[in-house]
Amino acid sequence: MKTLIVVLALLPLGYTYYALESAIDPIKMLYTTTGVGALLLLLLSLAPSTCQRFCALNLLRFRKTLGLLAFVYALLHVSVFIVLDSELDFVTLFAKSLKKPFIYVGVIAFLILLLMALTSTKKLFARFSRYHKAVYGALVLILLHDFWAQKVAGAFEYGMMAIGIVLLGERVWKECRFNMSKRH
Amino acid sequence: MPTPSITPEILFEARRHFLKLGAGALVSSTALSQLLASMPEEIQLSFTKDPNPLKLTPNTFEQVSNYVNFYEFSTDKTAPVKMAQVIKLKPWSLGFFGEIAREEMVEVDDLIAKFGLEERIYRFRCVEGWSMVVPWIGFPLYKLLDYLQPNSKAKYVKFTTRHEPDIFPDQAKGLFASIKHPYVEGLRMDEARHPLTFLAVGMYGKPLPKQNGAPIRLVVPWKYGFKSIKSLDLIECVEEQPLNTWQAMAPEEYGFYANVNPHVDHPRWSQAKERLLGKLTKQETLMFNGYEKEVSHLYAGMDLRKQY
Repeated sequence: MKTLIVVLALLPLGYTYYALESAIDPIKMLYTTTGVGALLLLLLSLAPSTCQRFCALNLLRFRKTLGLLAFVYALLHVSVFIVLDSELDFVTLFAKSLKKPFIYVGVIAFLILLLMALTSTKKLFARFSRYHKAVYGALVLILLHDFWAQKVAGAFEYGMMAIGIVLLGERVWKECRFNMSKRH
Repeated sequence: MPTPSITPEILFEARRHFLKLGAGALVSSTALSQLLASMPEEIQLSFTKDPNPLKLTPNTFEQVSNYVNFYEFSTDKTAPVKMAQVIKLKPWSLGFFGEIAREEMVEVDDLIAKFGLEERIYRFRCVEGWSMVVPWIGFPLYKLLDYLQPNSKAKYVKFTTRHEPDIFPDQAKGLFASIKHPYVEGLRMDEARHPLTFLAVGMYGKPLPKQNGAPIRLVVPWKYGFKSIKSLDLIECVEEQPLNTWQAMAPEEYGFYANVNPHVDHPRWSQAKERLLGKLTKQETLMFNGYEKEVSHLYAGMDLRKQY
């Protein structure tokens, strides 16, 4: 099942490779596929725990796979930024990263995902799992990054934001209820 | 009085072509653009060719006609290819009003007959960071202005896209529209009268594809693409500087002048380089999009960081 998820999640990359030659704006296409892929997979990786609380469906065992896949897409997204867009010109790259909020917000989100991916092994996860709550911060930053990347935000950005709010809101609501019941 | 009982051959052919387009649209947008590219011979425009002194290599018709910003239809780059096919091109009259000697409405075909057609192979740079090279067909705006005879109060030229929510779905969305409608652009009179400033009715030897702003659009090659307003409805000569749509949307990001300038960044992204459509590598953006020699005198003494 996990293999199937990995294969399905990587299929768009195969198509992108095939479509790259005839792409009208290839760099933009690579940015979009990898960026949208990372965001969708990250949202999917947050869905299992909500799912478990609402429909008693336990998909928790797929969370790590989905999260790592989101990281793979984010890594490719950053590679497009460094290799194709900035053409390995690190001076301009750092200047851009520091000056443009839309870029440094993305960089911070990527660093969070990177730390989570590095500490996702069984041994390290036991020690670092509580820091994995940082994923919510990464999600907010990624949504902001997506919003700022557009000339004007469209249906996709608002849709993703809505899903993000539902997933985050559900967790806040759960915490509140938990705290209330503790007090009684 | 003649009774038109028999469909003229051209219209019959046009109808067959239209049916084929409909079928093509069902299959894919690629099929559609291929069919559009194979428009019947009689729609080829006659024009004076551009000698192309800058030796520019145009992008392909497929690239230019399948990658557009036409927010009246969608913020997506390819969706307008199909959606724009609802535009009815004939009749389409353009209104000329304001501080001019002759206020009137003129059919696009009559404008073509009056001013003739020439080709202009221009660089086109979008504020989003992509660029292309397009062989436009049309006539320079100064020819039209000479005909309209602006008076001494005419300091600016204001352009407005047609407002017809039945055709342009985003105009019917009210508060939820992606931008303010109708789309407005403006030029200072000396910019408008510059010989490079162009009104295009075609490209690649053919009438403009609907998604590229048919039947008539502005092309100002040294300014970011959003200045080159599509599907024109009104051209007015005015005293006050018009508030162009993108400046109204986000004044800290888009100004009135919008001259291509690699040294002045967009607040959210760099403008130093650009992605030429079809290329996986980037190229340097040129000052005034490579037309510095021709236009820099228009902005002598201006602080281009402030007047962006």
